[in-house]
Amino acid sequence: MVKSADVHEVAPEMAVAFFKNILPFNSLDDGTLNRLARHCRVDFYPKGTRLLTAGETDITHLYLIQRGGVKAFIEDDQGKVTLKDFRGEGAYIGALGIIRGTPANLNIETVEDTFCFLLPRAIFLNLMEQEPAFAQYYLKSFSEKIVKTAYNELRHHKLSKRSGDDLYLFSVRVGDLVKTLRKVSSAVSIQAAAAHMAEFRVGSVLVHDHEDEENIVGIITDRDLRLKVVAAGLDYNLPVKEIMTGPVKTVLSQSLCFDVLLEMMSSSIHHLAVERGGRVIGVVTSHDIMLLQGHSPYYLFKEIRGQQKISGLYALAQKIPEVIRGLIKEGAKAGNITQMIAILNDHILERMLTLLEDELGPPPVPYCWLLLGSEGRREQTFKTDQDNAILYADPATDEEKDIAETYFKAFAARAIGHLVKCGYPLCPGEIMATNPKWCQPLSVWKNYFSTWINTPDPEELLHATIFFDFRSGFGDRALAKKLRKHLNREARKQDIFLFHLARQCMSTRIPLSFFKNFIVDKDGEHKNQLDMKRRGLTPFVNFARVLALKHGISETNTLARLKALFDVDFIKHELWASTNAAYELLMQQRLIHQLRQIEEGILPDNHINPEQVSDLERRMLKDAFAVIERLYSVLDKMYPTA
Amino acid sequence: MFDLLKQKSWFGRPDPLLQENKEFFLDFDQGRPLAEYSFVVCDTELTGLNKKKDELISIGAVRITDLQIDLSSMFHHFVRPESMAHTQATLVHRITPEQLENARSAEEVVPKFVEYIHGSLLVGHHLLLDMHFLNKATRKIMGGVLSNPGIDTMRMAQGYKRVQLGHYHEHNPRETSYSLDDLAQEYNLPVFKPHDALEDALQTAYLFLYLIKKFRKGGLVTLKDIFQSGRVGSLRY
Repeated sequence: MVKSADVHEVAPEMAVAFFKNILPFNSLDDGTLNRLARHCRVDFYPKGTRLLTAGETDITHLYLIQRGGVKAFIEDDQGKVTLKDFRGEGAYIGALGIIRGTPANLNIETVEDTFCFLLPRAIFLNLMEQEPAFAQYYLKSFSEKIVKTAYNELRHHKLSKRSGDDLYLFSVRVGDLVKTLRKVSSAVSIQAAAAHMAEFRVGSVLVHDHEDEENIVGIITDRDLRLKVVAAGLDYNLPVKEIMTGPVKTVLSQSLCFDVLLEMMSSSIHHLAVERGGRVIGVVTSHDIMLLQGHSPYYLFKEIRGQQKISGLYALAQKIPEVIRGLIKEGAKAGNITQMIAILNDHILERMLTLLEDELGPPPVPYCWLLLGSEGRREQTFKTDQDNAILYADPATDEEKDIAETYFKAFAARAIGHLVKCGYPLCPGEIMATNPKWCQPLSVWKNYFSTWINTPDPEELLHATIFFDFRSGFGDRALAKKLRKHLNREARKQDIFLFHLARQCMSTRIPLSFFKNFIVDKDGEHKNQLDMKRRGLTPFVNFARVLALKHGISETNTLARLKALFDVDFIKHELWASTNAAYELLMQQRLIHQLRQIEEGILPDNHINPEQVSDLERRMLKDAFAVIERLYSVLDKMYPTA
Repeated sequence: MFDLLKQKSWFGRPDPLLQENKEFFLDFDQGRPLAEYSFVVCDTELTGLNKKKDELISIGAVRITDLQIDLSSMFHHFVRPESMAHTQATLVHRITPEQLENARSAEEVVPKFVEYIHGSLLVGHHLLLDMHFLNKATRKIMGGVLSNPGIDTMRMAQGYKRVQLGHYHEHNPRETSYSLDDLAQEYNLPVFKPHDALEDALQTAYLFLYLIKKFRKGGLVTLKDIFQSGRVGSLRY
């Protein structure tokens, strides 16, 4: 006969379940957790309750937050309060004090109605002694640990397994791919160089200075022999320096193949010299890297470039998610991935508009296809609404103006149609080249920006921000450059404009309900979901934009803007590092979320259901939000309201 | 002598456990700070809601001391009903007939419970109902009723709502749901599985902790303050 459990044998299941969900308790076995749970007490602290006072409170328990949230802060002699941290569900309070045997080092106050499990100090210390892994968790640097574990968790648990895609882009370094160095003197004849290549069966050879063998001055490839010599009927006896390409672009031998591939694709240079310790040790080609893997971004890239019909691009564009999936699985950082997405999208666009020009005839005046918003920042993920515009050179006459208007109207209409068929949805706000307002000559565009900057209307500015992130997608880059120069000049001198921009940025406050259940939307289609873009990423983007405009930095990519700001010392190293990390983590989360949706056949969006978020991810989000708080305080100091 | 009385308790003095408990609460001081009292939050599951026919099938309880839930001392027992006929309730309660057949009898469980709650105030959500069945059982088995003062979290929640809405605001308690689930949602409490005596007791304990600390923050610092604030409980049921 099964007897019911006795009073003291009842295991508090809910406490065990709680522990199983949080670090580092999830590493303990069931028996230990059951014992642990039975030693716990549960307490409730209404919002605004002081739990610990720095330097005073002796810590008798480890507090584990079950529901709610607290802030940690210090207060100096003058009563000035400095916020140190927010901690939410699953986080702990008091570990440091218990381990060191000192009173609390921070003031802790609840910012929400908060329930905590209290684990007695002695039990906690006992665990620290008995379970090395458990102890290590607390002793190791917190953020580093979280970031690493989080990346691994994201990679291994979030994506379903597929066979045959063990790729090496992120583990192999180009130094490992380089074959024996082949080089010739710049003074030898073309024929001698070709003979050398034939003898060693290589497709390219480096060219060194005829007096200094270590000084690499150029490269010749099969293609040079074909185009510049044979096809052009050039004299074989001329020295190779006549046909070589130089200087050679170099990469460091320790560079990851992924980075090198990225470099090759963005510069369209397929032979790079590999350098180690200041010496060139060989050449790496896109082909070498390509051989590493079958289903690669590079194949897709080649296919796009070789496409002769616009309709052929439709299917290729749809292949992008599959390629990106491979990269995520390999552990690419979000910054790299969005860059790769941008490059692939750019190539689709480039090929399409080139073919379209063939179809419609050359444009009457030079033009530049502008990419705006996230495309302009090279931060697209899978779901990318079209945000684009056309900027063309000022026509000289009225007649030329009419011709230009007619041409670009037809051009835009077709381009947008093709892009839709490629899977880029229309922009609901009509910010596209087909909108006559956004298909204009340079002088009109300059006026647009001057108006936004000199007479800022907060309402209008809200919609205009995506224009400030424009970049050239295709066509005459010089036009985009001129416009950027104009914009930078105007923005820097208009503090009131930057003030509005900064204030607008800060209006996306971090509601405290984050600690209960995340910042979730209270109604509408996405009720109770977390908008990763609006709540998480946008504050970073806005921050970087304000500071970039303030300091005349032309970059549009958020990470690049932050890097540039740090390089010239406008932000401190520590702030830059944590901002960078937080932003990448958020992007990563969003990418994985969207990738999963695509795999499930759902239209990707930015809305994460907090119920499906693990303790780790919750932590990461919490950390990221703490960074936003700091960015705001920087802006607040720069542009105070009072 | 005592043994004799125990066997035929309905003739004379109740069981000494009940007697001790009664004496404990005879000159009970309501004026001490809240944290000094011991509370037992309990919930019972029944074969049905017929006050005459139905009986207890499980009792779950958790102890609150120092205004904290003490997870080291929880009470959870199934009770074998005298009649297995009323089994429709078992579906709701997620208790299998086997569990009930294997459970201890009320004669075994109820005195244990009385011992467990000795010296504590009883807390429950709609406590009156639980008290009815508990007292029915103690009367039968132990020859008397419980003397523990009770606090009803449902009435506490109604009182809290009155404070929140302000005294000038006309408020009809019937317009709002005061079910345990709905209150847990409203106050954003951690949520437990319903229809399990222990889980429901825990849910009620969270609610009680929430309300009593909110009251305390509002200036009600002794048990007397709580009792007087809005008929949230009484000394007798």
